[in-house]
Amino acid sequence: MKINASFLRRCVMLVAVAGLWLGCKEDNGISERKYQLVWEDDFSGTAGTSPDPAKWTYDIGIGPGNDGWGNQELQYYTNRPENVSLDGAGNLAITARKENFSGRAFTSARLNTKGVFAQAYGRYEARMKMPWGPGIWPAFWMLGNNIDEVSWPQCGEIDIMEFRGQQPTLIHGTLHGPGYSGGAAVTKSFALSNSRFDTEFHVFAVEWGENYVDFFVDDTLYQRLTPEDVPGEWVYNQPFFLIMNVAVGGNFVGFPTPQTNFPQTMLVDYVRVYKEVN
Amino acid sequence: MKNIKFQFPALALLALSALLTGLACKRELADLDPATFPTTPEIFIDGFSAGLNYGAFGGSKVTAFDVDTEVKYRGAASMKFAVPDAGDPQGAYAGGAYFTSVGRNLSGYDALTFWAKASKSASIDVVGFGNDFGASNYIATLRDVKVNTNWQKFIIPIPDPSKLTQERGMFFYSEGPEDGLGYTFWIDEVKFEKLGTIAHPRPVILDGQDQTLNAETGQQLNIGGLKVVFNMPDGVDQGVEAAPAYFTFASSNPGVATVSNTGVVSILDAGSAVITAKVGETDADGSLSLTSLGQAVGPTTPAPTPTVSPDSVISLFSNAYTNVPVDLWNTRWQFSTAEDFDLKIAGNDVKRYRNLNFVGIEFTSQQINATSMTHFHLDIWTPDPTDLPKAFKVLLVDFGANGAFGGGDDASHELSFTRPTLVSNQWVSLDIPLSNFTGLVNRAHLAQLVLSGDVPNVYVDNVYFYNKGVVTPPSGPTVAAPTPPTRNPSDVISVFSDAYTNVPGTDFNPNWGQATATSQVAIAGNNTLRYSGLNYQGTQFGSNLDVSGMTHLHVDFWTKNSTLLNIYTISPGPVERPVALTVPTNGWSSIDIPLSQFSPVALNNLIQFKFDGNGDIYLDNLYFYKAGSGGNAPTTAAPTPTFSAANVISVFSDAYTNIAGTDLNPNWGQATVVTQVPVAGNNTLLYTGLNYQGIQLGSNQNLSTMTHLHLDVWTANSTEFKVYIISPGPAEKPYTLTVPTSGWSSVNIPLSEFTPTVNLGNVFQFKFEGNGNIYLDNILFYK
Repeated sequence: MKINASFLRRCVMLVAVAGLWLGCKEDNGISERKYQLVWEDDFSGTAGTSPDPAKWTYDIGIGPGNDGWGNQELQYYTNRPENVSLDGAGNLAITARKENFSGRAFTSARLNTKGVFAQAYGRYEARMKMPWGPGIWPAFWMLGNNIDEVSWPQCGEIDIMEFRGQQPTLIHGTLHGPGYSGGAAVTKSFALSNSRFDTEFHVFAVEWGENYVDFFVDDTLYQRLTPEDVPGEWVYNQPFFLIMNVAVGGNFVGFPTPQTNFPQTMLVDYVRVYKEVN
Repeated sequence: MKNIKFQFPALALLALSALLTGLACKRELADLDPATFPTTPEIFIDGFSAGLNYGAFGGSKVTAFDVDTEVKYRGAASMKFAVPDAGDPQGAYAGGAYFTSVGRNLSGYDALTFWAKASKSASIDVVGFGNDFGASNYIATLRDVKVNTNWQKFIIPIPDPSKLTQERGMFFYSEGPEDGLGYTFWIDEVKFEKLGTIAHPRPVILDGQDQTLNAETGQQLNIGGLKVVFNMPDGVDQGVEAAPAYFTFASSNPGVATVSNTGVVSILDAGSAVITAKVGETDADGSLSLTSLGQAVGPTTPAPTPTVSPDSVISLFSNAYTNVPVDLWNTRWQFSTAEDFDLKIAGNDVKRYRNLNFVGIEFTSQQINATSMTHFHLDIWTPDPTDLPKAFKVLLVDFGANGAFGGGDDASHELSFTRPTLVSNQWVSLDIPLSNFTGLVNRAHLAQLVLSGDVPNVYVDNVYFYNKGVVTPPSGPTVAAPTPPTRNPSDVISVFSDAYTNVPGTDFNPNWGQATATSQVAIAGNNTLRYSGLNYQGTQFGSNLDVSGMTHLHVDFWTKNSTLLNIYTISPGPVERPVALTVPTNGWSSIDIPLSQFSPVALNNLIQFKFDGNGDIYLDNLYFYKAGSGGNAPTTAAPTPTFSAANVISVFSDAYTNIAGTDLNPNWGQATVVTQVPVAGNNTLLYTGLNYQGIQLGSNQNLSTMTHLHLDVWTANSTEFKVYIISPGPAEKPYTLTVPTSGWSSVNIPLSEFTPTVNLGNVFQFKFEGNGNIYLDNILFYK
């Protein structure tokens, strides 16, 4: 930890007042962290093929509780290429479709690295372009690898990026843990002023260490969370695995409307995981 | 107000073109740099930006716009718009456009933005940009912009910024009263911006629908419903209406249909084509799939002319009748695809419906009371197949006593017509007893007619209700009344005649409470007065007439069904006196009534005519004249001849037995009109408008024992009159008679006048030559 916490806080103040992020970042020492790439997928490959099965597994269906993955989501997740495949241009395409499938009106996909890759601490980043439209809910996030033993939210959840299709300039970074999950989670939003997340690629990242999680959009640190910031147990000193998905509907985003265009695709240029080296 | 320049855009254009011309004269082409246009984004921040002009729209209240320094969103001033109340004599609405003389390059921006508030919650009809008071190629419009009493920011996305490289139309607005009341709204900080937060442009044509349409060669269709939908910064979709110039249109089959760059589709030939469009590289939602059947097929002859008397008809559409008002021949109700056209076939008006699934025809503002009618008639023609079970349906709707749709008192019934009644490619006359419309329990407030069925192309004519129980009266005369002779103007006081100058101001249909229907009709091009269903009928002179210098009243009258007809002259008092006219007539009857018969009416002060009686009467040439100065007819019969019948071979005379089988009017191509008229009860031959005229004797006559030809002649206006007798050859010779005559002139011509040219042993024809109107009687040979 080379970051001077009080200095960082002053920096956040500065950002809010003047928006001088770059200067601040250089000054606050975050750039002095050194990371080494340990895991990645750049999604190169033939269009229409599935991503590397050595790196990704799938959540299929409507969730173990038949409740839309605990969120009243409306889609049925599949691993079909129609819902998840490479686009041939170096991206992974996760596509939500409006189609009747196994009793649901929409299909989509949710990939994770559970049982394949998990790690505590480091930099976790993905370069993505969002889908859009009311009721579309893409996310890039992590869950504690001990979820099967202690269940959620005790396992902890780090939402590197969540996006509501009806708020095209806004993303959210969040921690869910015991005593502060769901609607009570600790969260912060970041807004673009002259562009949107669904018209161009942006890099979403957390830099995570012992007793801190820093949230980034591109080069901008917009949130640091530490044990003092959460009203419960800090459960982030253990390995987490990665998840990417595009949900349709659900209690975070609301229903899609007649205005929502389908299909909707989230493009992922790459996912990279680093560990910090000194 | 000092910032506002009310400038005529035409003047600005002129000035610009003059400037360009001037430059071209002095510079070589190679010296010219590509034109660069300013990229100024501001339109109105605290005043007009450089080069900005304002012009109010025609019909708007030109003072509606002002600059307000009190109310503003930011800075020193805003634009204030005072929407007038309904009925404001200075203008019905607020509207105008802000434009520049020199175009601006706006291709680097993605939206026009402004802040707005209003004195009350309201919906501004239209705001936009691209209106330059000229071609206005790139108009973009936002409709029904909801404003309230708080300042809000509004965004009008540019449908395709790459098009706006020299745009002159910066901003425009148009707003009328809300619920009849005016109000005020303010707009501030108007500028083009590069927001970066407007995304996912989705062009749309035809409101995004994939339409399918049958068409025909020569047809033109407009691709409408043009807009581009954007996802706005708040995630909500918003459409902006976009002019055709933002779009690139394409036809899949230009041999069948082409589409212009303004979105006008022209059908060229039979076949199929799909019209689509793009904005930039983005395909537009919506398409038009056309199936052209080629040239339209329609009737080449008009529908049969109706023969029902106008008196028993309520006609909606026919050249044969006076039609009642019909509000709409195509109500364009929802889901109706029908298009209607007015066309003429051989001069006869016809309604045409195309793409007919159903069509509403409404006459709600003047509903039809068909209580006294028995039938509904219409003629239809369709080129479409009419094999069973294809049907054509007729629905009549009565709005009931409340005269309005609904209310529980409406009645209606639909009838369906199929083969063999329904036939393709010929006129089908539907004569439908109203009693067949069993559900149509009322028909005093008929307001709708709905045509529908399985024949998408229908031509319609002669739509009317009628009463079949009414005896069809005879039709009117087919020839005009006889033309009166030329007279000295001082010898005539004419009330109604095409031949004379009529006294002015006559009212031919004063309201005296009569039931008679009076009209004027053209008969063989001659204006004629018609009394239908006469009980009585007055004529009010424009001024009192002094006819004391005249001797006769002349009347031409024609009727087939009248059994009683009197004419009265009336002087103040009223003092009136009838003279009976002999009816019915056989063709036109002419009467010259000595004015003495109207005594004691004051002839120096006539005010009115009156007719009474019955039937349908045609009248013409109502005038007073002075006889003896060119009276047009003898008032006494020709003198009765006194020759012994044994010494006579008679051709035309009441006094003798005439040669049997004589044709008094053989067709020799003459212009003369031949009639036989009674003169004081005596049958008389009248040649009207003589040029020449023959008589073909019923048998050849040996006149060698006869000595003279006898004729009685009466003419007031002839200046030349010759008679010929003719033997086969022909061998003929004229004899000139003295005309005009003074009363009846009896002429005895020695037959030696015609020899030796004519063979008197074998005479078979007469011929007369000359001019004028000639009365003849007692044409005979004697010895």
